[in-house]
Amino acid sequence: MTSTTAMTVLEAEVAALIVGALQLEVKPDEIEPEAPLFGEGLGLDSIDALEMALAISRKYGFQLRSDDERNGRIFASLRALSAHIEKNRVN
Amino acid sequence: MGDISFLDRAPGDVLARRGAVPVTAGRYLADVAALAARLPDAPYALNLCADRYLALVGFGAALARGQVTLLSADRSAHRQRELAGRYPGTYAIADGVETVIPSILAGAWGGGEGENFAIPEARVAAIGFTSGSTGEPAAHEKPWAALVAAARAAAARFGLDDAADQATVIGTVPAQHMYGFETTMVLPLRAPMAIHSGPHFYPVEVAEAIAAAPGRRVLVTTPLQMRALVAGGISGVDAVISATAPLAPSLAAAAEAAWEAPVLEIYGATEMGSIASRRTVEGEQWTLYDGVALRVEEVEAVSALVPGLPEPVPLADLVEISADGRFRLIGRRGDMVKRGGKRASLAGLNRVLSEIEGVEDGVFLAPSDLEENPSARLAAYVVAPGRTNADIVAALRERVEAVFLPRPVVLVEKLPRNELGKITRRSLEALRDALPGEGGP
Repeated sequence: MTSTTAMTVLEAEVAALIVGALQLEVKPDEIEPEAPLFGEGLGLDSIDALEMALAISRKYGFQLRSDDERNGRIFASLRALSAHIEKNRVN
Repeated sequence: MGDISFLDRAPGDVLARRGAVPVTAGRYLADVAALAARLPDAPYALNLCADRYLALVGFGAALARGQVTLLSADRSAHRQRELAGRYPGTYAIADGVETVIPSILAGAWGGGEGENFAIPEARVAAIGFTSGSTGEPAAHEKPWAALVAAARAAAARFGLDDAADQATVIGTVPAQHMYGFETTMVLPLRAPMAIHSGPHFYPVEVAEAIAAAPGRRVLVTTPLQMRALVAGGISGVDAVISATAPLAPSLAAAAEAAWEAPVLEIYGATEMGSIASRRTVEGEQWTLYDGVALRVEEVEAVSALVPGLPEPVPLADLVEISADGRFRLIGRRGDMVKRGGKRASLAGLNRVLSEIEGVEDGVFLAPSDLEENPSARLAAYVVAPGRTNADIVAALRERVEAVFLPRPVVLVEKLPRNELGKITRRSLEALRDALPGEGGP
C-alpha cells in the first residue's frame, strides 16, 4: 500500500493532466493526494469538472458520469480520481 | 386582470421523459397534485431539485398551493440560509441534496390523471436572482403572465409549437438558472414538447438522452458545454439552442457541421428573461421575440419592454439598434463580468477582497476572453504582507462563487495606482508581465 502522501505513478500522471487541462497554478507534485479537488482543496468548480471529463476521456478512453453519490467519491481527491481511472480506463 | 391556465397541453401529450419512460401531461398533473398535498403552508418554496422532472413537479405543486418558487442554481448551505433569512417562511423542495432549512422530499407519487388549474396572470410565480454589485443577490420577480408570454414567443421562434411534430428538449443548464427555467420548466407547460429529466452534465449522459428520445431532439446548452459535446462526438441532435455567454461563431459553425443542425442563440438576462435570438453563423444581429420592444433611455442606455413585466428592464449590455429593429451587442455596461452563466461586479468582488483580514489592497482583473474561453479565469493582484495565496483564496471562497475565484492570485508589494488612486488595466498587465515566472509564489 502507498502512504498517504507519496504519489503513485498513475496519480502523478493524473495530477499532471489536471494541472495541464485546467492551467492550475500549482505544480503537479504539490497536489495533496488525499485533499479534496473541489471546494476546500484545489477549489475547482463545475466548469473545471467538464474540462477534466474531456481530458480524462481523451487520455483514458472512458466517460465520466454525474451520478451524484459516485461523483462525490470520484472527485473526493486525486487518489480517488486516480483509482476510478485505474478501474475504468480503456487506454 | 384575468387568469391563465397552468398547463396548456393535451392530457395524453408527452410532457417529460425520465430515461426512456414518457410522462404524459395528465400524469404530470397527478404528480403535481400529490406533491402539492404534502407541502406545508408557506409563502416561498426554494426549488433545489437536480432531477429536471422532479423540479418541474415541485414548481407546479408550489404554484398549485399559491406559493412563490425561489430559483437558485446554487444549492450550497450558505445560499439556502441566505434565502431563508431573506424570505421568512421559506422551505426547500429537494431530491437528494443536503438541506439546512426545513425541506420536503420531491417525488412523483400521482396516480391516474390530475386536474389543471388557473393562475392569476399578475401573480409572481417565481423569483430569480442575480449577483448584485454589493454581493447580496438581487431578486427579480416573474409574474405568471410574463413566463407564459416568453414561452409562447420562444416556442414560435424555435419551432417548438408544432403539435404534430413534438420535440424532446435535452437541457444541460440547471432548471433553476433563469435560462434553463424558461426553456425546460415553463416551455413544456405551454408548448407541445417534452423535456428529458437528466442528468445531462457529461457528454455520455447527453448521448443517452438523445438515444432515448423519439422524434426531434433539441439541445439546450451553453457554449462551454457545446464545446465539450462537439469534442465528445455526440450525434443525433436536430437543433441547438445556446445561451448564458457569447457563442463564438467558430464553435457555432463547428457544431452546425458536426450535427447538420441549426445552432440558435438566445439573448436574455435573469432580470428580463429571454428577449431575442439569432442563428450565430448568420451574423451578429439579434431579432427580438414577438411582443418585446427596446427603448432608448439615454446615451448608451437601452431598456427592454417585456410582455408581462410591469417595468422596462435596463439591459446590461451596450447595444446598437438597426433601422429594422434588430440589434447587435457592442459591449457590456458598467463593470459586470460573466462566467459560467453567473454575473458579478468587479467592484463588488474588489470590495470583498479588500475586506479580507490582512489584505491592504487588492484588485480583480478579468481577461478579455473570459466569456469565450473556458480556461480563462479572473486574476487577483493583492497586497497582503504575511498572507499566502491559499489564505486569500480560502477567505474568498466563503463569500465568492467558485466560478469567480481568482486563478492566479498574485501577491505584490503594491498596486500600480495612479495619482487619482485608480488602477488601469494596462498598468496591471504591465505589472503581471514584469513578474518572474507564472503566478508568483
